[in-house]
Amino acid sequence: MNNIILECRNLTKIFGTVKALDNVTLSIPRGKIVGLLGPNASGKTTFIKLCNQLLTPNEGEILIGGMKPGIETKKIVSYLPEKNYLNEWMKVSDIINLFSDFYADFNTEKAYDMLKNLDIRPKDKLKSMSKGTKEKVQLILVMSREAQLYLLDEPIGGVDPAARDYILDTILGNYNENATIIISTHIISDIEKILDEVIFIREGRIVLTNTVDEIREEYGKSVDSLFREVFKC
Amino acid sequence: MLGKLIKYEIKATVRLFLPLYAALLLFSLINRFVNPFAINEPVNINLQMILRIISMTAYYILLVGTLVMTLVIMIQRFYKNLLGDEGYLMFTLPVKTWQHIISKLLVSMMWTIVSFAVAVSSIIIIANIGNLTNKLAEMIKAVRNFTGDTAFFLIPVFALMGIAFYTVMIYAAIALGHLFQKHKIIASFGMFCVLYFIYQLCAVIVLIILAGPVIGAITPSWEPTQHQISVFLLSFLILSGALTAVNFAVTNTILHKRLNLE
Repeated sequence: MNNIILECRNLTKIFGTVKALDNVTLSIPRGKIVGLLGPNASGKTTFIKLCNQLLTPNEGEILIGGMKPGIETKKIVSYLPEKNYLNEWMKVSDIINLFSDFYADFNTEKAYDMLKNLDIRPKDKLKSMSKGTKEKVQLILVMSREAQLYLLDEPIGGVDPAARDYILDTILGNYNENATIIISTHIISDIEKILDEVIFIREGRIVLTNTVDEIREEYGKSVDSLFREVFKC
Repeated sequence: MLGKLIKYEIKATVRLFLPLYAALLLFSLINRFVNPFAINEPVNINLQMILRIISMTAYYILLVGTLVMTLVIMIQRFYKNLLGDEGYLMFTLPVKTWQHIISKLLVSMMWTIVSFAVAVSSIIIIANIGNLTNKLAEMIKAVRNFTGDTAFFLIPVFALMGIAFYTVMIYAAIALGHLFQKHKIIASFGMFCVLYFIYQLCAVIVLIILAGPVIGAITPSWEPTQHQISVFLLSFLILSGALTAVNFAVTNTILHKRLNLE
């Protein structure tokens, strides 16, 4: 099996006159937890949406497990968007049924287990839930899949610190050795301890890719302090 | 996968339609007993008359509302579920784009037919026609005598094609509007006008080519033959079928190759 799960070449996405992604070339191996780090509007979300075929690139190409984005890649990619994509009229149990209907790799038991641990009742309607609770539900859905690539866009942005720890543990606990997790965020300190590799992105360009160990060795700094230095305003 | 999509589409829409149908049928029953048209009764200005006006108005609003809501829900399901935030989920399911469109189209057609049937039933309830089945049979027979067998059996196909045609044209207009960077909704309205204009243009051309002999025969006292009616229906069936296929292909290509959810 090819060891690269995600590869992109000369990827460019333009919105009007703004280059959201500018000639990005990357390859990410299997079995890693990768932080996609950058300030607001640096192109993190655009990159993840391109991988999910929610946006169409102006130039360049993406390969996931050697395939262009399409049905086959959607079967192996589990995506957490930064938006709330849940159908408001559904109950939590309805949306779990939907996931298990459409995704062969969805583990229903795991999902109900996590709901219980976070005190979310399966019979509750999504409409009556707070924003934070909905985010938790989405994360549970996404992490209950046994996917090969997880694309998590700001997974801890809107959740309280106590739940943050549980969520990070959940991500780690569901971490299959061959799966890769890409986490986009600008809250680095909380997430640094679980990362293997980091990608710094600014104004649509990759400014640095390295492993966390090498960053500590080379710069003698934590990823958080290096981030603050690189992206100093 | 298509079956599952249809199942969820029905689930998402049934909760909107059923209460509407129930209310419409209930009000038509109420009106039947309140007898708002005051058939065979002298009219006095009193409480009963006010009641009649209120119940009749409510019924009328519900009747128009049901038909309007059918259209609104059709548009809203396509726009919100595929091109709104819910599209983030729909387009990351391992499902082909055309299956999304077909599932929406089939369910929307189903509701259009049911809404129409419920509206007609409500009118029949209010009208309180005695010997209903006999009268309906008579009417159908009269239509069949006029159109001839071929055209008579083409009518339901023609109606179904018409529903599919307009639905897919709306989908194509929304998809084309989605290509614009800004003002996507206004652009969608504009695109609908453009598509409708193209349809009218094609209709004129087809009329001249396929149904030319029929039109040539039109004079003030003209009565179409059964053959002419069939030719006319068939021409329009082919035209709307062809345009529906084109609009479907346009919608599918845009959602598949030019999707940009923001």
